[in-house]
Amino acid sequence: MTTLTYLQAISAALRDELRDDERVLIMGEDIGVFGGAFKVTDGFIDEFGPDRVMDTPLAESGIVGTAIGAAVVGMRPVCEMQFSDFISCGFDQLVNVAGKMHYRQGLAVPITVRLPSGGGFSGGPFHSQNPEAWFMHAPGIKVVAPSTAEDAKGLLHSAIRDPNPVCFMEHKHLYRRVKGEVPDGIFETPFSARVARPGSDLVVIAYGAMVPVALEATEDLDGASVEVLDLRSLVPLDEEAVLDSVERCSKVVILDEANSTCAAGAQVAALIAERGFESLDGPVIRVATPDVPIPFSPPLEQAVLPSVDRVKEACRELLAY
Amino acid sequence: MSSSRTDTLVDVTMPQMGVSVAEGTVVAWRVEVGDSIAADATICDISTDKIDTEVPSPVSGVVAELVVPVDTTVDVGTVLARISVDGAPALEELEAAADEPDAVSPDTTAPDRTKAQATETPLAANGSAPSRSGGGRRYSPVVQRIAAEHEVDLDLVPGTGRDGRVRKQDVLAFIDSGVTEEPPLHIESPYRPDPVAAPAPSAAPAPAGAIAGGGLSRMRRQIGEHMKRSLDTTATCTTWIEVDMSRVEAARRRLGVTALAFVARACIDALREHPALNAWLEGERYTQHHEVNLGIAVSLGEDGLIVPVIQGAHELSVEGLAARIKDVARRARSRELVPDEVRGGTFTITNPGQFGSIMATPIINLPQVGILDFEAVIKRPVVLTDSEGNDSIAIRPMTILGLSWDHRALDGALSAQFLAAVKRHLEGVV
Amino acid sequence: MATNIAEPAADGAAAPNAHLLLEDRVWLMRAMLLMRGLEERAMTLYRQGKVPGSFYDGYGQEAVSAGAAFAMAPQDRLCILHRDLAAHLIRGVSPARILGQYMGRASGVTKGREGNVHFGDRELGCVGMVSMLPDMMLVATGMAMAFKLRGERRCAMTWFGDGSTSRGDFHEAMNWAGVQKLPVIFVLENNQYAYSTPIDKQFAVDPVEHAAAYGFVGETVDGNDVEAMFEAARTARERAITGGGPTLIEAVTMRMHGHAAHDDMKYVPKEQVEEWRKRDPIDRQEARLREAGVDVDALRAEVKAEIDAAAEEALAAPMPNPETAGEGVFCEGEAEPLGDGVARWSGFQS
Repeated sequence: MTTLTYLQAISAALRDELRDDERVLIMGEDIGVFGGAFKVTDGFIDEFGPDRVMDTPLAESGIVGTAIGAAVVGMRPVCEMQFSDFISCGFDQLVNVAGKMHYRQGLAVPITVRLPSGGGFSGGPFHSQNPEAWFMHAPGIKVVAPSTAEDAKGLLHSAIRDPNPVCFMEHKHLYRRVKGEVPDGIFETPFSARVARPGSDLVVIAYGAMVPVALEATEDLDGASVEVLDLRSLVPLDEEAVLDSVERCSKVVILDEANSTCAAGAQVAALIAERGFESLDGPVIRVATPDVPIPFSPPLEQAVLPSVDRVKEACRELLAY
Repeated sequence: MSSSRTDTLVDVTMPQMGVSVAEGTVVAWRVEVGDSIAADATICDISTDKIDTEVPSPVSGVVAELVVPVDTTVDVGTVLARISVDGAPALEELEAAADEPDAVSPDTTAPDRTKAQATETPLAANGSAPSRSGGGRRYSPVVQRIAAEHEVDLDLVPGTGRDGRVRKQDVLAFIDSGVTEEPPLHIESPYRPDPVAAPAPSAAPAPAGAIAGGGLSRMRRQIGEHMKRSLDTTATCTTWIEVDMSRVEAARRRLGVTALAFVARACIDALREHPALNAWLEGERYTQHHEVNLGIAVSLGEDGLIVPVIQGAHELSVEGLAARIKDVARRARSRELVPDEVRGGTFTITNPGQFGSIMATPIINLPQVGILDFEAVIKRPVVLTDSEGNDSIAIRPMTILGLSWDHRALDGALSAQFLAAVKRHLEGVV
Repeated sequence: MATNIAEPAADGAAAPNAHLLLEDRVWLMRAMLLMRGLEERAMTLYRQGKVPGSFYDGYGQEAVSAGAAFAMAPQDRLCILHRDLAAHLIRGVSPARILGQYMGRASGVTKGREGNVHFGDRELGCVGMVSMLPDMMLVATGMAMAFKLRGERRCAMTWFGDGSTSRGDFHEAMNWAGVQKLPVIFVLENNQYAYSTPIDKQFAVDPVEHAAAYGFVGETVDGNDVEAMFEAARTARERAITGGGPTLIEAVTMRMHGHAAHDDMKYVPKEQVEEWRKRDPIDRQEARLREAGVDVDALRAEVKAEIDAAAEEALAAPMPNPETAGEGVFCEGEAEPLGDGVARWSGFQS
């Protein structure tokens, strides 16, 4: 075991994969010589060379499209979008070519798309998005979102080894702020949820950067026993874990950093309404960023992103219901 | 599909020339009825929104029928012509079979919504006023589920949620703090122990060792006199009978009413069969009544007892009786009864079952000749005998109904028959 | 202005291609006859209501796919488009499976998951197209990228139309291929129309000239001369596998039928159609073969028999089981890469 930051864990996973499997190729803008916008691949080009740590042209559709081509002839490309926001330029290749290929043609597309997501640092509207819901909605694409260093490594190994297109939502806010014990060597974390803290009076369901927010907000909440469920995997969604938490706790707050309408949490809320109804002791509450582009100036940005205080308040109200 | 088989006739249908095309027009027939035609040869010309084209024949044969005239516009799929085919070409048959899974039955319409609405689930039927929801209280799904599993009357559960809402932990706490043994099955008696008023300060010093307190209240003394007079006047006997209340329990849950209401209705029916119990004996004067004005004994706690009367009870259904019982009990406890409401009873029922007592010897309410006592309903093992005479043990909610009756007006056999009738009505509840 | 009609070689008098044996030239003809015959049969089935959805064909363009695909080795990889049926046939997809595919049968290449020519038999090294054009250019570029990274002597080929050169993926693919000098062959089928849009509404400069702008060779070829197409593809392949980078082959041809079966192409001037009818690729190859003494009628009869048998087989196949509609969204096992196709050219037989 080694203590690593979330970012170091991602680097370590990529490095381990490059060493272990000659089919693995990482590609993206500025990832080679420069070591990546966030330094995830710092030093990689020295060890693995420019062919396997590829600096690509500025062409997101090209990155995803050529990754697909390489994947169907036996490689395991891991492409990076410099910011998750830019996946919109590669949307067509990801959703229509990669996502649908196996269903239509029986041809697997084993690509991983790393998506540095999320806000909280005055990135403005185009460097702060959480686009996972677009890809949850597209059949044929898996979506995972780790919140801890250990899961960042384990889920990335699983994603790279999965024969399907996988969107890996790595949250920028967690890169250096989250540290944890990470097992050494290659290990695969299943695409399932994890109880971050068990509880009985209420459960907060969250993923990614919202998990530490949930934990902080409910650590000492008037003596209530609050469970925090870390979804970790959005597609496939661990429905059994969600329903199990709901059955035990009966009160649910769902947390999304993404814009509220049709965010991942909306899907979880629908699942609970349909299959967890008998367990509910109160309405299913959602806390999410409102449907606005993420603003740049700190007071504006802080006002829209879900804060520890907003989560506390929602939990208090529901506990008292 | 263009072709389908019916006997030896093959249909030629209007093709769909493009995804959005819904109809086409026959422009010209290239054949007449009776002509031979080869497979794939053009049988007619058509025109659609997108394109003018030809329709090739699906089979070789003889034109049997031209269905659609020239210049007629028809929907895609409409039969245009029929071709008669000799023999049994395997291809077409296989094709029709292969097409089957694809065929959409014309009977497939939108689901019958009226049917769905008419089928009332028990939840729906019960929905607005389950027995658990009294006085506008709503209960969440998990609270209802837990209450049902533990047979808890949610009316009794204090709520600590918003606006006094019963929360999950409230019903769980209520269950945990419950009696160590299982309480009597029903606790719907109009008896409610009222909050005990502070005792009046005693004027005289109590004798050493005695319990402090004043004398009996005026009401208590009046009640006492009434009771004494009854015992002095009547030749009171009491007869008991056991009743299997399982059907009543099931029915009352479904209707959301008290078991007392069922007992009341059963009594009324039995009284109609045995009017000797529905009578007054005042000195020499003996009057049997046809109507049943049913008195229901209501406890006023320390203050005693009062018996409001439901006039014309024989005209009420079980639900009606339940509502009236609830109403008079409430008004009795809040001292809202008017004098007329405590007069004119022809029969009385007393129901002190919530504390677990099983039998009593009630005192007749003069000038009536009978009073029925309905105590606790307790689950007991009972012997059931089937049609072949085999015995088995079952667990049933049982109660013992006691009838005190005036031997001056009737005798034991009749009272037993009356009780048997009550039992029969209760055990026959649907 | 964009090149409208390339200079045709004199019919029948073209020098025999040094790389083509007679049997190869017959095979090219067979592929074109099979493509045309299958598409005609499929059109009939469409009008008989047996082919759901839309129907597209490559009537008059058969040489573009037949010639180019013929030059591909088994280990090469193809992204085939909707008017390139001959490429599938050359790679080894059976006519019965193709007709089953059109009719949405369980026996079709995609088992009913995809319609008409949106298929690619992965076992034969073909990637099935998507409708967003020219997305497949990037996929082919990516395949070529992998070949180069691994140092393999193989290439990828993709077809796309004049219309699709207007979309961003054309630029991204051409640029990427040029920057990385990849072994990819871009076959631009300039058939003069994208649905109803003529080329003078599509581009201001003949796309073949773009190749130079991206740093590689662009070549205009008579798309209706199957042997010229073969030669262009063969040369491009040589270039690719010897590290010479990409080639853009602009095959000039004409779409003789509508965009799809429901389009009667009234927007195309009749004279243009008539002019191109004289350059029919099958007629031209037939002239060559007759001159070489080949019994073309026998060949035609063979092809027709093959198509008849295929139609019978396809019509007998069942429709897919509705209960399977939700299966196969994800791969549950190992990701199998594309397999090798059949190669007909004598140059590949050892």
